[in-house]
Amino acid sequence: MLKTNTVRWWIWLMYGGLIIYAIVTFIPFLWALSASFKPLSEISASGGNFIPQEFTLENYKAIFAQEPLFGRWLFNSAIVAIFVTLFNLLFNSMAGYALARIQFPGNRLFFFLVLAVLVVPAQITLLPKFLILKFLGWLNSYQGLVVPTVVNATFIFMMRQFFVNFPKELEEAAQLDGLNRFETFFQIVLPLAKPALAAQTIFIFMSSWNDFLLPLVVMSNPEMFTLPIGLNAFKGQYITYWNYIMAASMVFTLPALIIYAFFNRYFIQGVTFTGGKS
Amino acid sequence: MRKLIPSAITISLLFFTVGCRSDSNSKPVEITLSGWQSNPNEGKLLDQVIREFETKNLNIKVKREVINSQYMDVIRTRLIGEVAPDVFYLEAFEAPALIKSGVLEPLNSYIKPEFKLNDFESSLLNAFKRNNSVYGIPKDFSTLALFYNQTALKSAGIAQPPKTWDELRQTAKKLTIDENKDGKIDQYGMGIVSELPRQTFMIKAFGGKLVDQTDYAAFDSPEGLQGLQLVIEQYRRDRTAAQATDVGANSNSEAFGQGRVAMTLDGNWAIPYLKETFPNLKFQTTEVPKINDRQGTMIYTVAYVMNRQSKQKAAAWKLIEFLTSESGMKAWAKQGVTLPSRRSVLAEMKYDRNPIYSPFVAGAKYGTLWQAGETLPTIVTSFDNQFVSAMLGQQPLPEAMKRAQNTANREIYLSK
Amino acid sequence: MKQKSREALSGYAFMTPAIVILGVFLALPVIYAIVLSFYRVQLLGEVDFRFAGLRNFIRIQDDERVWIALANTIQYVAIVVPIQTILALVLALLLNAKIRGRSWFRVAFFLPTVTSSAVLTLIFMWIYNSNGLLNNFLDAVGLPTYNWLGDPQVALKGIMLMNIWATAPLFMVIYLAALQDIPESLYEAASIDGATTWEKFWCITLPFLKPVTFFVITIGIIGTFQLFDQSYIFSNGSGGPDNATLTIVLLIYQYAFNRLDMGYALALTLILALVIMLATLIQRYFFREESLD
Repeated sequence: MLKTNTVRWWIWLMYGGLIIYAIVTFIPFLWALSASFKPLSEISASGGNFIPQEFTLENYKAIFAQEPLFGRWLFNSAIVAIFVTLFNLLFNSMAGYALARIQFPGNRLFFFLVLAVLVVPAQITLLPKFLILKFLGWLNSYQGLVVPTVVNATFIFMMRQFFVNFPKELEEAAQLDGLNRFETFFQIVLPLAKPALAAQTIFIFMSSWNDFLLPLVVMSNPEMFTLPIGLNAFKGQYITYWNYIMAASMVFTLPALIIYAFFNRYFIQGVTFTGGKS
Repeated sequence: MRKLIPSAITISLLFFTVGCRSDSNSKPVEITLSGWQSNPNEGKLLDQVIREFETKNLNIKVKREVINSQYMDVIRTRLIGEVAPDVFYLEAFEAPALIKSGVLEPLNSYIKPEFKLNDFESSLLNAFKRNNSVYGIPKDFSTLALFYNQTALKSAGIAQPPKTWDELRQTAKKLTIDENKDGKIDQYGMGIVSELPRQTFMIKAFGGKLVDQTDYAAFDSPEGLQGLQLVIEQYRRDRTAAQATDVGANSNSEAFGQGRVAMTLDGNWAIPYLKETFPNLKFQTTEVPKINDRQGTMIYTVAYVMNRQSKQKAAAWKLIEFLTSESGMKAWAKQGVTLPSRRSVLAEMKYDRNPIYSPFVAGAKYGTLWQAGETLPTIVTSFDNQFVSAMLGQQPLPEAMKRAQNTANREIYLSK
Repeated sequence: MKQKSREALSGYAFMTPAIVILGVFLALPVIYAIVLSFYRVQLLGEVDFRFAGLRNFIRIQDDERVWIALANTIQYVAIVVPIQTILALVLALLLNAKIRGRSWFRVAFFLPTVTSSAVLTLIFMWIYNSNGLLNNFLDAVGLPTYNWLGDPQVALKGIMLMNIWATAPLFMVIYLAALQDIPESLYEAASIDGATTWEKFWCITLPFLKPVTFFVITIGIIGTFQLFDQSYIFSNGSGGPDNATLTIVLLIYQYAFNRLDMGYALALTLILALVIMLATLIQRYFFREESLD
């Protein structure tokens, strides 16, 4: 795109900006990483240095070894996040596609309702949600965490906005070939929506992985805790144990980061409609 | 023969009951206990005490749950959903509203004379009473005392910690130091926490009161302002005091540990933290300096309470009884984060003769309990909101307190 | 006719999972909330409902804190949403260009989003404190320094900065995904017509991103209107000093959970919902899309 020498300065400026912004985003993460290897006394006393004066693995040992249920919590978090992500990808895309592409009575009303449920703060729906889950007998169970979150209004909305842009020609061609809506959706539309699906995967996985409020009230049995709830015990009533929290959040961040790095490749230009033109 | 029949019945009845009992023995009941923990070690200690309880009561299993965030929100949600734990922690501050709503089991009928209820510090026990019914057994308590940095006092040539508030302000002036003369103060004399839970005793120092008989806010009186004015003056006029954020600390205790403030009023819970986290810090404690020639401080207490909906009330009481018995309390109080609520245990563990803990023990006799009616949450929000603003100099204290009281009382009025 | 009803049927079939789940776990709670906002409710212990008519709504008029919270929140939305949207778009465009190491930049830029909020708070305390990184930097370049955490006027700006910094990468990812969908053929045709890079951006890229921008702004508005965590942490739940950090959701939280005044809290929620709807509708007016046909 930018081949001429006259715009070379522009490239340098761009790199400069990117690198500065990368540093701004990187420093806090690096600092948290280094803090996870420090004893609490060092974090509290100074905090500013990047290289731990007193390097220690105690924080990690404390959360892995001393907490007998850690493995169980990790498993719970993973199971819930994986199922929630898979269902969301399917259901949100279907609903988003219907709202963007299919003419049916109430189409606009549904779109409006999807927006409407978004504006109610989660703190407010928590109590009725809890009572419904209790009525269903789903407290302290995986379905209690999974089922209410298998559909996400935000991402129905997002998928709709993506599908609105899709070229209609492909679907029309598919219909001429005798494919019905379902076949068109699964065989033609979904494979082309990879970038949007990748973005959705990252967000859904992260929000399920980090979810705090719902598991906090739904899970009262320690064996059913997810990681954020279990690790919350390290946040003391009077004193916050930053050393444990830093170590825990590193353990915690890693899976989300790996998922992101993995799906990142779908954002690399070249996966376009015209079929792999790069 | 005639005699045989009744005795046969008796015997068979006996068998029946024995049969019942052995049946219940084989199936242990499970009760849940919810609370928070100040640190992971505290949790382990409580688990030990619970294991001991279980070996003594083989037919009871205890499930312990830790809720460290939004504790009361979770408990209330579960109470509304009727799936709340059998036994749980309750702060004195939250007690009046919860007792009034009728979700707690009155404990009078369970308490036997051997339990020695009058061994508990009465001010703590009263926090969980309503109409002569006891709704909670205090598990421990904390008070505030003056922490001072011995090294800082020594290098400022101060031999004795202050005994009165005037002395405190003088001492704070000497302890406020700008070492490198760059205009930024390196050590403040005093660390301040501006929230109502820490300041209520200042309102009372000159005879003010927090609420009136109908639970409306009443702190905006000349007497109430006089005490609070001392805090504002020290912060704004003397400039010898700092809040944690002023010196870049996460908490008041941390600011003291880092040496950014040389003195502060803090709770006994800070003692293990400071010893652990700042091993080089040399500090000592003393009673809160007298104001208006009177002693004053804050008292905070937490009780075990029983859920009225509990299906295992007998077992739940056994657990509460064990945890708050002399031996249970002793095991629990070893950690030094909080003080035992039984006088006998307090004396036996020699907290009153330990120089670092004794000022806190003394405070229990004259302190102000952190509790008022059910309207307290509204009052706290309103007070905190405006008092900080007076601290920052956005408005004079009388104006700020007037606003705080009016806002709180209007909200209380509208919600009735 | 038959074609049309089959179309409608497949539309409902596609929507079924969403309707069932959102209906049970979102619409039902919302209806419950709407009904309760006309009552005085006592849910704890002895359950007590008393019909209050419009009293909860009339009470809002007299509650000066509602208007303060609304003003604070709107100010916050008006500053944060445009900045974070533009930042996200610029980052996405840069990282979509064929530059060396863009995968690395993408991972680095995304880090704030995966870092837990507890950690972010602590990090910002460390950056913002009076002897912290930011003040040291400002001091070094000769600018005035502030007590970023203690002074409410600057504290809210600090919260804004943190919010922008943490949210922009999320929207950047969405823009990146959307940029993949632009058919290369459009650019090629434009190149043949002799369009400059700028013209291509203005006439092809931007119009194509319109639906996604509508999404990004709407979600941005909803998210910022629901600002809660930071102001809760900053003011210890009070919204002070002098209501400077009071937001609508914080106020709702205070009424719902501290005072257990559910009916009034829900009435406030409805008002908040109306305000957000209004903001969204105004915005939608500018992003009107071609009809579905």
